[in-house]
Amino acid sequence: MLARVANDLFWMGRYIERAEHTARFLNVNYFSSLDAPNMLSQSRPFVLNSVYGMVDDRVEDESTLIEEEVIYNVGLNPEKLYSILSCIKAARQNANNARDLISTEFYEALNKFYHFVMNYPKDKLVKNGLYDFTTTVTENTAILRAKIRGTIFHNEIYALILLGINIERATQITRIIQTKLHDAEKAISSYSKPIKNSYEWTTLLKCAESYDMMRGLNRRTPSQLSTLEFLILNPNCPRSVMNSLNQTYAHICQIGGNNINNLNSSAFLIGKMRAEYQFKTISEIQQDVRKFIDDTLCCLMDISSKLEEEYFDY
Amino acid sequence: MNTNPIFSSYQKDSKLFDEIFDENQNVRPIYQKILDLYSDHSIQDFAALNEKAKASFFNQGITFQVYNDDKAQEKIFPFDLFPRIIEAEEWEILETGVLQRCKALNEFLWDIYHNRNIIRDGIVPIELINSSGNYLKQMMNFTPPNKIYNHISGTDLIKHSDGNYYVLEDNIRCPSGVSYVVGNRNALKRALFGVFNHYEIQNVTDYSENLLEMLESVKPHSVDSPTCVILTPGVYNSAYYEHSFLAKTSGIELVEGRDLFVENDFVYMKTIYGPKRVDVIYRRIDDDFIDPDVFNKDSVLGVKGLFSAYISGNVTLANAPGTGVADDKAIYTYMPEIIKYYLKEEPVLKNVHTYHCSKPDDLKFILENIDKLVIKPVDEAGGYGISIGNRLTKEEIEKVKTVIKQSPRKYIAQPIMSLSVHATYIEDNNSFEQRHVDLRTFTLLGQDKEFVLKGGLTRVALKKGNLIVNSSQGGGSKDTWVLKK
Repeated sequence: MLARVANDLFWMGRYIERAEHTARFLNVNYFSSLDAPNMLSQSRPFVLNSVYGMVDDRVEDESTLIEEEVIYNVGLNPEKLYSILSCIKAARQNANNARDLISTEFYEALNKFYHFVMNYPKDKLVKNGLYDFTTTVTENTAILRAKIRGTIFHNEIYALILLGINIERATQITRIIQTKLHDAEKAISSYSKPIKNSYEWTTLLKCAESYDMMRGLNRRTPSQLSTLEFLILNPNCPRSVMNSLNQTYAHICQIGGNNINNLNSSAFLIGKMRAEYQFKTISEIQQDVRKFIDDTLCCLMDISSKLEEEYFDY
Repeated sequence: MNTNPIFSSYQKDSKLFDEIFDENQNVRPIYQKILDLYSDHSIQDFAALNEKAKASFFNQGITFQVYNDDKAQEKIFPFDLFPRIIEAEEWEILETGVLQRCKALNEFLWDIYHNRNIIRDGIVPIELINSSGNYLKQMMNFTPPNKIYNHISGTDLIKHSDGNYYVLEDNIRCPSGVSYVVGNRNALKRALFGVFNHYEIQNVTDYSENLLEMLESVKPHSVDSPTCVILTPGVYNSAYYEHSFLAKTSGIELVEGRDLFVENDFVYMKTIYGPKRVDVIYRRIDDDFIDPDVFNKDSVLGVKGLFSAYISGNVTLANAPGTGVADDKAIYTYMPEIIKYYLKEEPVLKNVHTYHCSKPDDLKFILENIDKLVIKPVDEAGGYGISIGNRLTKEEIEKVKTVIKQSPRKYIAQPIMSLSVHATYIEDNNSFEQRHVDLRTFTLLGQDKEFVLKGGLTRVALKKGNLIVNSSQGGGSKDTWVLKK
């Protein structure tokens, strides 16, 4: 497969996944705040800044934020590279470059989705379309994943798309955790009496579409520890960082399995990170959660760069 | 007589050859069944089906980009719901005729890049070759693998008011449109599948497998199992959909110039596992852009060193560089003689009589009769630069005269041919109306391999009275049915 097209397949997977997480975060964060149990979590500027936090555009003075502007920027602003629209546009551009390799069924689904996003009226989104827009985006990304799994042959093409999806998922889940930790730390001071602030952890789980799964596993109210353990280390949670690393490892083995013992290969780097996570405990993470999160994001970036150097450098 | 309700307002111009109704306004037998079936639908049904077909093309991304005020807009090539039907016997003649032309053009190309017997024998004047912008001196005395130049051809035909087919143009550089033949068939099947039960129609999906077979048949001599690729200018090219379609359906890699490099006169593509040798390139970029070392130095679409690899016999290019000299509209005039000279056969298909502005007698006639002629530049494609005499004002005629006199070699003139008309659904008027159509056929030539796609692209000029059917000038297209015997 051409190195240039491999790069497109990888980034197509990343952009589709990124759009989904951004849409879900926007949706969950906004709607859960409407009846949040404390004043701060309910305050609109706090919520809007949290949304900006997820796309790495947090502002110093959140009182200046205008709701319509934030929703537009994150949803449909073509000038903002982090917007859902920009992600889908980029994914479709990547798909165009690889059009001869991906299935007709998948391309048609992506193309329809692209036109939906491109034609979504700005006014509708910022006035009363937020729920409709974000849920349609998440539904469509689910359709795309199903089309990828069901209509694309499971060879290098599939492995490259899935590498992109899983590295992006690990990154986005980590970013969501980072953002919600920040929110929780701030919110904790606004409670009148010390409580478990389960609201923040419930929201975090919902932002990662993992609340129901977590409840199925653990009947107790989510706490910081149990939530982080679930989202970072539980290999059976399809949204966890651990699960994404396992998938990433499986797919790199499909492409570069022969290179696994080469210390300078992506396969080695991914295998190493996965092994470290596999034997990590939540108490080790708890000692310095922020540092752990920063390190995770750094490692994921290194993996992406290594993949680029090894396979996509054309 | 026509009593069909959806055709009750169909206005027939008796001077034109209507593909569906004869001169007595009776439905031609071949169209009777489909007309009966269509009459089960109301015109509102057709409006709805038309919308569905458009959405289907749009969602599938069978589109091209147009730029308005620097903003890119996606457009579909308009598709018409009424198919054109060609009987088996009629098709046989067309197929034999276009193959004959393609084979003669191939012989002609070899000859003019080698011994030039046809010039020595006084059949074709040497000035036409030497003055052609598409003649490549670099191709002199080089024989492409298996002596094939025009592997892929598109022949444009029209049906004149006399009921005969005439060849309008031979396209042997990078003819496009074949993906729309398949796209149109799929769209019509989705919209009006019931009608297919009443006709036995030739399938059109075998083009790509024949393309691959043909490409593999012209591999360099030293290669056993060739790696074939399609070279595209990239995603912004208006025919990109077609390039990706052909790559996907023939199962070969779609590459851009930046994916290839040449080392020691061998061509390689850059894959995720390192360089991989490429043996046959179906290139969809023009000669001028294939190699900046030899041709246009500013080209970023091609590959440095590609031509040298080609001349060394290490890679095959389809079509061969320099084929454009033979699809020049001035050479077209000599096609009947070219066919007779090389194949010792009478031409199966008619040529439209052509006047050369470069011949003094012809030029005199042309200048005196512009209002009765079509003036065409010899080396333009896409319907550009054409002047239709009876549509010009006096001032415009004078302008055309000046332009011709300045560079007579650049222009030819032909009598205004009356393209046949076909019932076409016109969205703005919500009715079926007569519109002019032509037909592009698609031919492949390889080692022991000849193939003509049993279908073709019927292009339709959507503007009333317009004779230019090219998609770049607002034309649409129809599914084209070749009936089985």
